[in-house]
Amino acid sequence: MKRGLITWDKSELPPAVFETRLAKARAALGAQDLPALLVYSDVWRSTEGRHLTNFMPYWNRSLIVIPRDGGPMLLCGLSPRVYPWIKSVTVFEEIRPASKLVPTLLQLCAERGWTKLGVLDHPRLPHEIHSPLEASDVEASDVQLDLTDDAEIAMHRRAEKMAREILTAELPKGIGLTDYQFSGVLERAFRRAGAEDLVLLFSTSDSAPRPARGAMLGAKYSVAVALEYRGHWARVTQGLPL
Amino acid sequence: MINEHRRKQLLNLMAERGWDSILLYGNAWRKDPFRSLVNFNFSGDHALARVSRSGEVTATFSDPWDAEIASGNLEPDFVRAFTGGASSIAGLEFMEERFVAACGTLPVSATADVEELRRVKTAEEIEYIKRACDLADRGYQHFATVIEPGMREFELVAEVEAFLKTNGAEDNFMLIASGGTEVVGMKPPTERKFQDGDSITTELTPQVNGYYAQICRTLVLGEPSQGQLRSFAIFSEAQKAAEDLIKPGVTAAAAARAQNDVFRKHGYGEYTGAKYTRVRGHCLGLYPDETPHILEDVDYVLKQDMVVIAHPNTYLPLSGYMVFGDTLLITETGNTRLNKTEKKLFVK
Repeated sequence: MKRGLITWDKSELPPAVFETRLAKARAALGAQDLPALLVYSDVWRSTEGRHLTNFMPYWNRSLIVIPRDGGPMLLCGLSPRVYPWIKSVTVFEEIRPASKLVPTLLQLCAERGWTKLGVLDHPRLPHEIHSPLEASDVEASDVQLDLTDDAEIAMHRRAEKMAREILTAELPKGIGLTDYQFSGVLERAFRRAGAEDLVLLFSTSDSAPRPARGAMLGAKYSVAVALEYRGHWARVTQGLPL
Repeated sequence: MINEHRRKQLLNLMAERGWDSILLYGNAWRKDPFRSLVNFNFSGDHALARVSRSGEVTATFSDPWDAEIASGNLEPDFVRAFTGGASSIAGLEFMEERFVAACGTLPVSATADVEELRRVKTAEEIEYIKRACDLADRGYQHFATVIEPGMREFELVAEVEAFLKTNGAEDNFMLIASGGTEVVGMKPPTERKFQDGDSITTELTPQVNGYYAQICRTLVLGEPSQGQLRSFAIFSEAQKAAEDLIKPGVTAAAAARAQNDVFRKHGYGEYTGAKYTRVRGHCLGLYPDETPHILEDVDYVLKQDMVVIAHPNTYLPLSGYMVFGDTLLITETGNTRLNKTEKKLFVK
């Protein structure tokens, strides 16, 4: 889960990066004559929303709305008490409380006179969102965006570098520990370095890597690290002997 | 790996509803529907268990490592896992629409039915939750031991996370906040450094063999202010009111009202609403925030062997946001507090 540091370092990702990404989304809307783009986001599926707005739903689910002619908006079930923090780490200009996401979205559509919407990766919307949206008067169309740019690649490189460097430094410390104990060593090192999320899998034989289960680590083992650094994942696997 | 009690429950449910099959879907965020039958901690994106009317269980995974370890089917293009459809699906709401479409005829949602089956825990499940409670207690002791002025919030979280993983936690849900009366809620850790006089709130929710337990405590660095002490006295009274009340037959609404009435009695009733707080507690199990929530408008009748946390967490102008709560196992005549951590305002 997202227990690590969630922040926005504007020297890493300047606001202009998000302006360019939002302009790209608006251009896609223009090409399909759509008034707004809907992006679904939850604890697990946060990559697209993070790319466009830097928003990370550390808990719960949310809808991001990018109007063709306005600033991005967030509809979410998180308490308004955390809106100041959300605004401090994202590009959102408006956040609306939405304990029920689709009714709040449809109300927004009615306010703005939108009878159609673009939906990023429409077939992958959760059924709970897709179904009431389909039953409404708002016509939803699939929109595909290329989410790759130089800034995105640079962040993935940073994540990969962090994963590789820390894992290389820590790997020998696992000898003689259980995989639980070594998980603790790695959690401390990665999260103190700023990791948002971490998935660790261990292999002590020829079988597939798996979550820690109390197995002893001898002189020969490998660790697969999936690391999320500021919304950008990297996966690195290393083993001993190096 | 297969929860045999759950398999029997599902077969009874299928017979009762006239379903030929039931699927239990889990994704990386909501593994719980799948794990309620197949308690395997998959690390890939998707997992699906299919129960036939004869009781046969087959598991399908999107990740080859999961499929190999669990001796299940591998379906990298997970749309294909739904070929052939199903009568009903637990977790339908979380499924991508392309998966639902692949079923052909729209299945019935079994999510609510399966969640109701999950609420009353088996002896084995209770044992896992007790172990998670023990870890939560030890985790909080570690939290209180390592915290110090000058440490940053995310560094403290790293220490706690390391402790919990070292001691066998699969996962942990944790929020934190620090500061004074300006603090209105908890969130992920920031770079803020702890200072003397800070009130530091946290909820720790470690997961052991799939099952979560939770503890909520507040710690003050330095001498507590009169406001912090008075605030904690109200929280302590409210939590005790719920703990004294909760037993089979009591509604979630009554458990919430018992807590909120304490705040009302002390003149702080406005701080029990949605503007300042979320819930007065919730159930625990394979998901850290299971329903029913403990709220005044939830009329669900609590049952023996349910596991709940009562936590009157909210903002008060006396102290800023404060938290206090323990995991409770509902017994035949009352409840048992599963956390052993001292019920006090921690001071360091």
